[in-house]
Parts: sequence; C-alpha cells; structure tokens
Amino acid sequence: MKLSSFLLIILITFNFTNLNSEENNDKIKNKISKNIRCLICQGQSVYDSQSDFAVSIKLIIDKKLNEGLNENEIYDFLKKQYGEWISYDPEFNKKTFILWILPILLFVIGGAIILRKFIVQKL
Amino acid sequence: MLAHQIGYYSLILGFFFSILIIPVSIKNFSNKNKVINNKVFSISFFQFFFVLVSFSGLILSFVNSDFGNETVFNNSHTTKPLLYKISGTWGNHEGSLLLWLLVLTLFIFIFLIKSNSQPKKYRILTLLFQQVIIIGFFLFLLKTSNPFNYFFPVPKEGLGLNPILQDPALAIHPPILYLGYVGSSIIFSSSLAAVVEKHISNVWAKHIKFWIFVSWIFLTFGIMLGSIWAYYELGWGGFWFWDPVENVSLMPWFCLTALLHCILVLEKKSMLSSWTIILSIATFMLSMSGTFLVRSGILNSVHTFANDPERGIFILIFLFILILFSLVIFFVFHKENDQKIVKINWLSKEASILFNNWFLMYFLSVVLIGTVYPIFLEVLSSKKISVGPPFYYKLIIPFLIPFLFFMSIGPNLNWIKSEIKKIKIQIVLSFAVSLLISFVILNQIGFVGLINSILILVTFYLFFITIKDFFLKKFKNYSQIFSHFGFSLLILSILFNSILSSEKIINLKVGEEFSFREETIIFESIESIKNKNYKSIVGNFKIKDKQNNFLQLKPELRIYNQPVMITSEADIKTTLYYDKFLVMNLVKDYEYFNVRYQVKPFMIWIWISTVILVIGGFLSLFQRSYEK
Repeated sequence: MKLSSFLLIILITFNFTNLNSEENNDKIKNKISKNIRCLICQGQSVYDSQSDFAVSIKLIIDKKLNEGLNENEIYDFLKKQYGEWISYDPEFNKKTFILWILPILLFVIGGAIILRKFIVQKL
Repeated sequence: MLAHQIGYYSLILGFFFSILIIPVSIKNFSNKNKVINNKVFSISFFQFFFVLVSFSGLILSFVNSDFGNETVFNNSHTTKPLLYKISGTWGNHEGSLLLWLLVLTLFIFIFLIKSNSQPKKYRILTLLFQQVIIIGFFLFLLKTSNPFNYFFPVPKEGLGLNPILQDPALAIHPPILYLGYVGSSIIFSSSLAAVVEKHISNVWAKHIKFWIFVSWIFLTFGIMLGSIWAYYELGWGGFWFWDPVENVSLMPWFCLTALLHCILVLEKKSMLSSWTIILSIATFMLSMSGTFLVRSGILNSVHTFANDPERGIFILIFLFILILFSLVIFFVFHKENDQKIVKINWLSKEASILFNNWFLMYFLSVVLIGTVYPIFLEVLSSKKISVGPPFYYKLIIPFLIPFLFFMSIGPNLNWIKSEIKKIKIQIVLSFAVSLLISFVILNQIGFVGLINSILILVTFYLFFITIKDFFLKKFKNYSQIFSHFGFSLLILSILFNSILSSEKIINLKVGEEFSFREETIIFESIESIKNKNYKSIVGNFKIKDKQNNFLQLKPELRIYNQPVMITSEADIKTTLYYDKFLVMNLVKDYEYFNVRYQVKPFMIWIWISTVILVIGGFLSLFQRSYEK
C-alpha cells in the first residue's frame, strides 16, 4: 500500500523536463534507428552503421518524421518496404508467439516446481 | 619454420599423451592403492607441456611472421605491432581452439594436484571424463582446423589481422573468457564423476566451489573486457548490443551464477543435489554450444570470423555425444541422496537462493530463446526475423524488480527459518531511505516511466542494504556483500547512464562549430599522421563550456594498410561523473565529416561496479567457510 501511494505521489508531482523540439526530434530519430537493423551489415543497427544503406534509412526516417508519422508508423512503413527482418522488435503473431510465450511459460513452470518445495512436507 | 615444426610435432605428441592417460588411469582406478599413481600425474603434465610448447610454437611463428604457416599467413602482417602479432595467435579460429586445448590440459593438471583430499576413484574418473573432452578437441583441431598447415612457396607477406581486433582489451579478452569457459569443463567432468562415485555431498560441494568461483571470475571479467572493447572500438557509445555472440557468453554466465548460489545450499544443507548436477552439465554445454554457434557461422554477427560447415558439423556431433553421454550417466547413476525431502520455509536463505535460481533460469531462457529462435524459424519456415534489444528489454527489465528485491532480502535471512518479527528494523529503514533517495532523484530528472522508477527504487534498496550489511552485520560475508553491492551499482549506473545520456549527430566541415546544450563544439583542424601499419586522420576538436573552459578531443580515422579497412577511433574524456565521447566518420564523396558527440553520465561506474562484482567473487576464494 505504502509503495503504491508513493508511486501515486511520484506520478502527480513530477515536473516534466522540457526538451526543445529539435532535441526531442533527434532523440526519437536515434531511438528508431537503434531498433532498425542495417540489412547489409554484420549484425549492426542502422544507428551503429555508416554504410550507404544505413545512411539512406536514416534519411527516410527523417523524412517520415517530418511528414508527421509517429514512431510505430515508421516501423510499419519500413517493415512493409524491407520485410520484418529489418525490425529488432519482433511482432507478436502466428510465427512468433512461441518466442514471446515460451520464456514466460518456463518461468511459470519453474515457479510451480519451487512452490512444490514449499508445500511437500514429507514422503 | 623451426618453431612451426616444433609446434606441429608437439601437438601430435600431446595427443599421444592424452590417449596414453586413459589406459594408465584405468589401471590405477581398479587397483587397491589409495593414492593416484605418480605416472598419471606425469603423463597429465606432459600432455599439458606439449600443448604449451605447441602453442608457444604458434606464437613464435606469429612473432617471426612465418607466412608459410597458413594460420599466420591469414591473420598476420609484418607491419603489425608486436602485441597484435602475439594476440593474433588467438584472434582466429585455429589458434583460439589451440588455446582452448591449452587451458583444458592446464586445468585438469591443476585439478589433479589440488584435489588431494578427495577420494581417488572420483579424481581419476574426473580425469577420464576430462580426457574425453580433451581428445575430442585434439581430433577437432587436427582434423578440421590444424593451426600448422604449411605451404610452399612461402608468401612474402600475410593478409593481416582485422583492424578492429587490433586492440589491447581485445588482445586479452579471448584468453580470459576461455579460462571461464574451460573452467566449466572441470565442473562438468567432476560432477559426472561425483555422480558415478556417489560423491555428491557437502564435501564435494566445498571442493568444487573453488572451480565454480574461478570460472565465474574469469567469465565475468572476460565479458566485461569484451564490453569495454565494444564501447570504444565498435560502438557509437553503446557497450552491449544483444548481439548473438554476446548473448552466447551471457548464457553460461547466468547458469554459472545460478550454480554458484546453488552450491552454497548443497554445502550447507545437503539439498538440491540433482539441480546442482543439472546446472553443472548445462553450464558446460552452453559454453560448448557457444563455441559451436560462433564457429559454425550460423549467427549473423560482427564477431563471426570463420565459417566452414565441416567444423560446424564436427562440433555439433561432439556436442551431441557429450550431451547424450552426460544424460545417460545422470539417469543411470544418480540417486537422489538428499537424506529426506524437507519442506523449505518461505523465509529462509534456501528459499531466496531458490528464487535466485528461478529468475536466473528465466533470464537464461529469454536470452537462449531470443538467440536461437530466429535460426530455427528461418530453417523451418524460411521467414527471417530479428530479435534485438527491444525484445530483451521487454522480457527482462520487469523481472529484474523482484529479482533485486530478493537479492536484498535473501542474505539477511537465516538458513532453515527466519521469524518475521526478528527481521531487523534496519531492513525496513533501508527501504525508507531508498524511497526517499529515489524520490528526490526522480524529482530532479523527471519522469522516466513506471517500471524504470520502481527499478531505481529496488536497486537503491539493494545498494543501501549491502552498505548496511557491510557495517552492521555480525557474520560478515564480504564476498557476498561486495558482489551484491557491485551488482546494485552496476544496475544503477546502467540505468542512469541510459536515462541521462545525451547526444548530437551532425555533419561538419573543418572550421565549423555547433552548440549542444550548454557547450560549443568547434572543429578546428585536421592533420594526417603516418603510422607503421595505418595512416590516420586526426580531427582537432575543442569543446567550450559555459565557463569558457576548454576541452580538447581528438577522434581519429584510421586507414589500415593490411587488410585495407577504415576504422574510426573515438576520443573519450572520462571523469568520475561522465564520459564525453566524440567520434567522426567519413561521408562518401563529401568534404564534411559525420560527427557524433555524446555525454554519457556514470559510464566509468559500469566498469568499476563490474570490477567490484569480480572482487567479491575473488574474496570468496579466501573465505574459509560460508558463514556460521
């Protein structure tokens, strides 16, 4: 209870720091380019790479931001153009639900095994 | 040429000795003597000695630039500085495997000497199991990746080492990491031997703890070195990319960390014996499959430097045999020898270590599934997906919160059972302090999201609890206090580093300047410098702050001659509060440079805290016994 009321206080009393819009724009641009794979590189993100491909993707991100698209719309746009491989954040769909669910499932199973240790009295 | 030949023949001699150990130690195993025959020691020593000679032979071939040797030819060049000629020895597939072998043979020899107090049969069995691994590696080396292939005519010049690998941190990163990986092979063999000999007990736990901690120390330190290297050489200010090859080193780390806690329960309470064995086997399997995944070229990563399907298949088969072998031993020989199945109390040290293992296994499964799933998906449905940082953050960060909480409380509980009433006031007090501190800080820096806020709170909690333990606890376990403190500091620095980092990316010509926050960055001039194996273009930058203080930064572009490759070297000004990171890059066909300037708070604390974490592990080697 104490914790939740504390969190409430945090939420209410925050004074949001104001970033100027240019800096904000840069921030979002970098965030997007970190989540996009440079398709011609060896395991680098667009943000980390200076290849022609990465540079052109960065330009596209810039352009789309100026056109008023938000972050998710840009991911969608890039995925449509280059395929799902370009996004580092896999979607949740028919092909990937195992990827997302399996770790959680294992966590639950592990919890169940441990719970038994607490309950089993004698054999 | 001479060094090359000595190296080659020593390797074959070493192989001969490693086979010889088997009949000699089997004979020794069945006789009535209580001690191990000296012959076994000497053969094991010779095995190590000849691999050492062989390895030195390879190093000498590198130092002398003997390009008749294929490995040297592919990975070295006459103009390379001496340090990188030497480190080139393990900067490639063949050499790094020879290094694996060297450490394998060294460790089993040390094991034999150090395990005096243990039963003879158990020691010999450990040796035998270890020999299976060693012989496997010998065969692998000689058959598919011989570092001593010679060809004529001898070329005048080598192909050179990948410039991004020419770096001091990376020169020692692989050997250190391998010490950790290979240390886990001893844990593997020894736990199998202990299963067969019914020697799984608190005596065994006490003895094997040494190897667990040694492996853990090297593994942790090795991962850190790799990460430091990535920070200033590879990345644009990043230090962990969730790249498959990084993940591969993280997986055995999770497993080993779980084992390191679990072994304490076995030592104190003779419980969790099956689980300990499973973790021992799993740690080594993960180290091996790491080698497999990296070497086979299946992974798409910056680290992949050799891919050859034959090698991949060999390791895959070898791995498969080892897994099968260990499973058979486990199921045939292992009888649960926990005297009685006891109920574990919620509020006890055992319980909190179980929670620790539970969460670590979860983190392991996230990383494992995240790394392997895309490979399987591509093979099965030819659909390519990328699993990157967002995936890992989403699945790991929320779970860190309870993990850190248990980590704070756990060491303050008793074995068997603690009374709620007896939980000391300081524990509650530390929580109040952390609440206050997090509140003040969050008020200063602004809202960072709900999960991050709670994470900051629990990490501070761990931070203050460990400080409290350091000063107030009666039975001081410095190893645990240091490690947990280091870990809290690590999470705090990573958190604040990622929240407070700021950067500016801009295209700039010589003479231009730009302002960023309260600083002005001036691109004054460039100069070109010629070095032995590269040419460099150095940019002279001045950073002027509000008080008109100047800071000079000189990022560099290096054009290596062999192989021809351009790398950019960041210039970093490190202080206790922040790193200022400046890097420049060529933009094709233009006269301006792409310049990135970053201010990264608390960067150095990420390394300091990891060192504290490692020191904690190191202290445990000198601790007589674990508490009470």
